[in-house]
Amino acid sequence: MPLLKVSNVSKSFGKVVALQNTAIKVEIGEVHILIGSNGCGKSTLCKIIAGSVRPDRGSIQINDQPVSFHSPIDAFQAGIGVFYQELSLSKLRTVGENIFLGNLPVNRLGLIDQKKLKQRATAIMKPFAEVVGADFHPGAIISDLREDQRQIVEILKTISTDAKILIFDEPTSSLDRKQVKVFFELIGRLRKQGKAIIFISHRLDEVFEIGDKITVMRDANTVAELKVADTDKDSIVHLMVGQKIEYQNNHQETLDSERKTVLDIQHLSGSNFDDVSFEMKRGEILGFGGLHGQGQSDILQTIFGVRPATNGKIVVKGQVAPKMSPHKAVDLGFAYISGDRVRQGIIQNRPIVENLSPVSLVKNRHLLFSRARMAEKSKPVLKQLNTLFSGFETSVNNLSGGNQQKIVISRWLIDNPEILLLDDPTKGIDLQAKADLFSMIRQLLKTGVSIILYSSEDEELLNNTDRVLVFHGGEITRELVGDERTEFNLYQAAFGDSAKLAL
Amino acid sequence: MTGLNLTMKRSKKRSFRRMMLDYPYLMSLMVCLFLLIVNGIFEPRSLGFEGLLGTLNSYLPLMIVAMGQTYVVFAGDIDLSVGSIISLVNVATVALIAYYGSGYDAIGIGILCGLGIGVACGFFNGICIAVFRFQPIVTTFATGVIFGGLALWIMPNSGMAVPEYYWDNYAGEVLGIPFVILILIFMALLITIIARHKFTLLLKAIGDDIQPAFQTGLPVVQTRIKGYMMCGLFAAISSLCLTGDTASGDPLLGVKTTLLSVAAVVLGGTALSGGSGSTIGSAVGALIIGLIGSVVFFAGISYEYQNLVQGLIVLLALAGGVMVSKR
Repeated sequence: MPLLKVSNVSKSFGKVVALQNTAIKVEIGEVHILIGSNGCGKSTLCKIIAGSVRPDRGSIQINDQPVSFHSPIDAFQAGIGVFYQELSLSKLRTVGENIFLGNLPVNRLGLIDQKKLKQRATAIMKPFAEVVGADFHPGAIISDLREDQRQIVEILKTISTDAKILIFDEPTSSLDRKQVKVFFELIGRLRKQGKAIIFISHRLDEVFEIGDKITVMRDANTVAELKVADTDKDSIVHLMVGQKIEYQNNHQETLDSERKTVLDIQHLSGSNFDDVSFEMKRGEILGFGGLHGQGQSDILQTIFGVRPATNGKIVVKGQVAPKMSPHKAVDLGFAYISGDRVRQGIIQNRPIVENLSPVSLVKNRHLLFSRARMAEKSKPVLKQLNTLFSGFETSVNNLSGGNQQKIVISRWLIDNPEILLLDDPTKGIDLQAKADLFSMIRQLLKTGVSIILYSSEDEELLNNTDRVLVFHGGEITRELVGDERTEFNLYQAAFGDSAKLAL
Repeated sequence: MTGLNLTMKRSKKRSFRRMMLDYPYLMSLMVCLFLLIVNGIFEPRSLGFEGLLGTLNSYLPLMIVAMGQTYVVFAGDIDLSVGSIISLVNVATVALIAYYGSGYDAIGIGILCGLGIGVACGFFNGICIAVFRFQPIVTTFATGVIFGGLALWIMPNSGMAVPEYYWDNYAGEVLGIPFVILILIFMALLITIIARHKFTLLLKAIGDDIQPAFQTGLPVVQTRIKGYMMCGLFAAISSLCLTGDTASGDPLLGVKTTLLSVAAVVLGGTALSGGSGSTIGSAVGALIIGLIGSVVFFAGISYEYQNLVQGLIVLLALAGGVMVSKR
């Protein structure tokens, strides 16, 4: 009899289907791995079990008893403990307070017993004492801690309760090898104590190290449940990929070596990525792939000067770029379009012409803003993107959502950028705008613009790029060129399958 | 060498930050002492027992409201209705005491009802904000108008007097100790206990970041409501003190107090964004506001400039606090 049984759970956010008839069963004393690519619904499934998202349909049973959670408090009381990927810590509170926030040691009056809190915290932190550094103690403030230390606090917080079902959503992403080892020993002990553990991982190696069973998810569905002992890495990757799709090689001709190098990144490091080097040629479209949040956005933002680089060089057309800022980047011919910002970038209730102008105003320092010149200049771009609008002076709010997004994208393309940085550009935009954006991209490539495309949608990435750099943990793990660009190879590298990296 | 230097610098910076987190009122305490000294230079008598007692007498009510306001601010909320709660509790208490015949029992009933009204006002604010998710600034501004309106409805004109025992006791002594000092000691004990209670930690965790607090399974809604109720209770206590000072009912008694209480909280080192600070700091902040007033007065600045100078000094004190905490 499974301790936790989730059946037929579905959830949609607006038109987006996040989960469709998903099911998972977890037994006592079992470490159950949940694995799948970006946006397959893992986190949503976890949040439903944890009570912070309510399902549209389906049932959850604990010990054969149906349960229904209205808030995390309900789930907490039903014995579910959760490690949240984005961490659930109070940054200005101490380590001890955070670990026991849900069940503070108090006396009869409700006053906190500081001594007991410290004792308990010290005890629970002990296994990690040797692998985290001296500044990690019960009285340390969270905001002073490194990312790995914070992650360990979240781990301890999760296991400090007497929850029977523990969910870990990517608990090891910032931990080093030694810390992971201590953590896995801890998991082993919890397993012996009869806890049921759900473990989401982005490292295939870990799956085989710690897991008993695996549930594979793909496109909002749970597609298979396997015993770890009966399977291997390749089969899991195949299950995540699903049916095989052939990708066309659109831009093979752009790869000739005689083209000039426009961007040369040398040993660039910054927050969330380390020692990244690559070159890009004129008219090339280079893809950044891998799982979400492996440093891809951070690199693009660092190149554009939004975040500081801690080390390394950015060489633009043979010249070493000075300390970057977005303003300088625009001057050097960069444009940066982020899918996150497209919706936010709209200047509400203002005419279209004003919505087109911000980047152009930064780049060309005219004393006066000429609406007519702005409108004239933006016509070709708007036409290429198939933007439908009645006049430059109409309010942007009269446009459909997709056309509003095209206006925001246009503002970056008006002044002929030479290097286009696309940071998951289609995340926020609708299907039609997406198709028009990619047809525009193909036009731009022909005119010699170079493009870096980071996309969390693997199909889009493989379909539209010449070359793909796959990132894992802030490093490039593999370069896929030509026929190597398959979903299988992409997933294998994205999940850090180290055995294959030597290829 | 440089590496070592750097870590030392870093740890020094950390220990300073640490001190500000553990004792957020240190800076304000220093500012307060400085103002006391300046005050003493202009008017030596102000540093004597009588002078200090006089200052305490005038600013105890503001200190108490500011303490209450702090609980709400801990959670990242704000209460702009405290002034009106003070007015409402004042007129209700005075009217009830008169209604029940102005005896000792009438005073008892009046005080208990006054405290109850304060808590009820806070409960109403809390329900609107934590349950219905209304925006705190606008909500408490609006409920403040409601509470103030109720006060005017109960007592359209100021003037109804309280019985002599009430204000005589407030201004008097018990066992040779002035009554206001006893109240101060009582309040100090109360806030020290509350500071160690789970309640304060939960408020701060919510103010720090509400999403993780919710995901951790903390009773977010209940705690925010309790914060507002605590604030209402403290406003009521403050109102009862003010009543002892003015000895009469006044439907506009608390009008000026609202923003002063917020200023006192900030001067006391509590972040308006929530998550950190202390109630003691707010009490000190209230004293700072009081002392600035008296410095301006004793310095002999002519009447028409007093407000201007007072405002500038408050701004300066705030700027100093910001600079120190950002170092």
